[in-house]
Amino acid sequence: MKEIKLENSLSPMFPKMRRVSELIGNIIGLIVIGIFFWLQHYFEWPMWVYWILVGLVILSVIGIIWSIFEPTYLYRSWSYQYDDEYLQLSYGIFNREWVTVPMTKIQSVTTSQGPIMRRYHVRSIKVETVGSSHVIPALEENVALALREKIAELAKLKEVDE
Amino acid sequence: MRFHPLTIAFRIYQLVKSNFFFAILLFVFNRESEFWLVKYGRYVFLLYILLRLIYIITAWFVEKYEWKDRVFHIHKGIFVKQSSTIPFSRIQNVTRKTTVFHKVFGLTSLTFETAMDGVEDAIHYEVITKKHAQDLIDLVKAKQDSHTSNESQYENELQAQPEEEDSISETDRTIHFTPERKDLWKASFTSLSFLAIIPIGAGLLDYAEPLIEDIDRFEGMFQLLLSSSWLIGILIAFLVIVAVTFGVARTFIRYGKYEISSDDTHIYIDRGVLNESYFAIEKNKIQGLEMEQTFLKRLFGLAEVKLISSAKPNIEDGSLNVNSLYPFLPVEKAYQLIEELLPIYQINSRLERLPRIALWLRLLRPSWFFVIATIVLFFIKPDFLHITWWVWSLILLCIILLNRVLDYIHTRYVVTDDQIQWWHGGLTSRMFITKRKNVVEMSYSQSRLQSHFNVASVSTINRSTPIHVEIIQDIPLGFAMGIIEWYFKRREDVEIENRSR
Repeated sequence: MKEIKLENSLSPMFPKMRRVSELIGNIIGLIVIGIFFWLQHYFEWPMWVYWILVGLVILSVIGIIWSIFEPTYLYRSWSYQYDDEYLQLSYGIFNREWVTVPMTKIQSVTTSQGPIMRRYHVRSIKVETVGSSHVIPALEENVALALREKIAELAKLKEVDE
Repeated sequence: MRFHPLTIAFRIYQLVKSNFFFAILLFVFNRESEFWLVKYGRYVFLLYILLRLIYIITAWFVEKYEWKDRVFHIHKGIFVKQSSTIPFSRIQNVTRKTTVFHKVFGLTSLTFETAMDGVEDAIHYEVITKKHAQDLIDLVKAKQDSHTSNESQYENELQAQPEEEDSISETDRTIHFTPERKDLWKASFTSLSFLAIIPIGAGLLDYAEPLIEDIDRFEGMFQLLLSSSWLIGILIAFLVIVAVTFGVARTFIRYGKYEISSDDTHIYIDRGVLNESYFAIEKNKIQGLEMEQTFLKRLFGLAEVKLISSAKPNIEDGSLNVNSLYPFLPVEKAYQLIEELLPIYQINSRLERLPRIALWLRLLRPSWFFVIATIVLFFIKPDFLHITWWVWSLILLCIILLNRVLDYIHTRYVVTDDQIQWWHGGLTSRMFITKRKNVVEMSYSQSRLQSHFNVASVSTINRSTPIHVEIIQDIPLGFAMGIIEWYFKRREDVEIENRSR
């Protein structure tokens, strides 16, 4: 297929960051499943509960293996671009998406940073329009802040007839 | 200014109307009952009614409205004072309704709907004199027009009419559509309104049951009826006649008196025999058009035209969709109407079709709905009509596939200067048409399967409540890219306001 590659890519830290956060999520998931195994054993819940739990373990193992490779592919698939008129995002490993939003139609822009993101000095940007919202998952701190300023300035303009 | 004093009467009337059934239940049917819920329920009910009455009366003294420099100020709230300001320019459409209650007193009601993101975003006059309503409509309209013509002269030269003309606009409206008897007959059958008698009849029977003293005797009569075949015949014929008469009467009452008219800036819809209503929307505020054909309507050559606007649809009036021009327009008439009402939209009859590969893609795509439904059927194994579960699953599959094939046949699209138009949909097909400047977001997507066959999906988002999303699937890649390119030229159509904030 024709790959749509826009000007900018995510922070190169993204795959690492994502791997760490996925790992933490998966570990918590496994702990919860473990607790349920114990509960099943202790309260002598029916056998089908046991098999469902086994199924969940298999799924999480597949998830963990996938989460080692996925961030790299996701990182490669992500690109974005902006000018005075449009913000464009292109992403997706299996399903490719390419979204175009006019700057004047953006209603709010938010940057956020969780503890893992802080460790890797990245921020995510969330852009909201009348009907939808889009997130750029990880940008270097200074890039993220600059982009936020830029969008905020351009989004202030309003089209006649609104 | 306070609202019209009869507002109190109107609200009491509504209170009575909505609690009538409940009151009968408590005080007539169960008048002998000693059940605690009924016993105390009566007191609670009376207390509730009393409180509502006090509230209604005090609310009238508190609620006030005024206008100053193109802005409405509304004050309300007994315990928590609340005042809202609504600029005239934010008003999206005007609705005036005259119910039977209003008719008795020669009054009407009026609603200005806005597109603001707040809870209290409409100005609603429950009772108002006809003259005052007209004054307010003129006031808002005149200001709106001067407002738009000052700021967007170049944007829409058609609109730059001298203001004096607008204040007497009642006279220069042209009427575009009134339904003919023939259309109404067709409408009564396509809307299946004669089926409406079933729930009403069942409801009546439920209602009447406690009144019939000897239910067994009634059932005995029923048995007698069933035993003789010609009696059944007469009964069925009688029921069909009643149902059809009822349906036709319902349609004639609802859609009988109907008039669509317009002037340079607005579109007006006047309708209703018993409950009259008037609806006006500024042409500028229309974000797009939609034409919908259900399976039955297609058989009869009818269609429904809907206006997509950012005003909230009026919910109180569930039965009639305010955004709908007329639900039973003959197709030719519908096209003609769109061209007359909104000349900026050009309807093309030459549209592109999808490539053959799109049909295979549609048939191949897994249907999650089908998968889940089949799993559920497998576990429940219903014995409905003595048909096993997998036959139901097959029937469902056939319907889904039929829908997809029809969708392939119906999907057609065209992009011209600053306008996009497409048809899609299976059993119910829809045409969507909008201007580039009204599309607030555009996206393109491609799944693995699609990329293998060099096709893609394109979707648009328009402002509306809730937002209006349209997706067209499996169009050739080149064309999809073309649409995106086309969208990038959006700047040509829009004007940026010089608002110094």
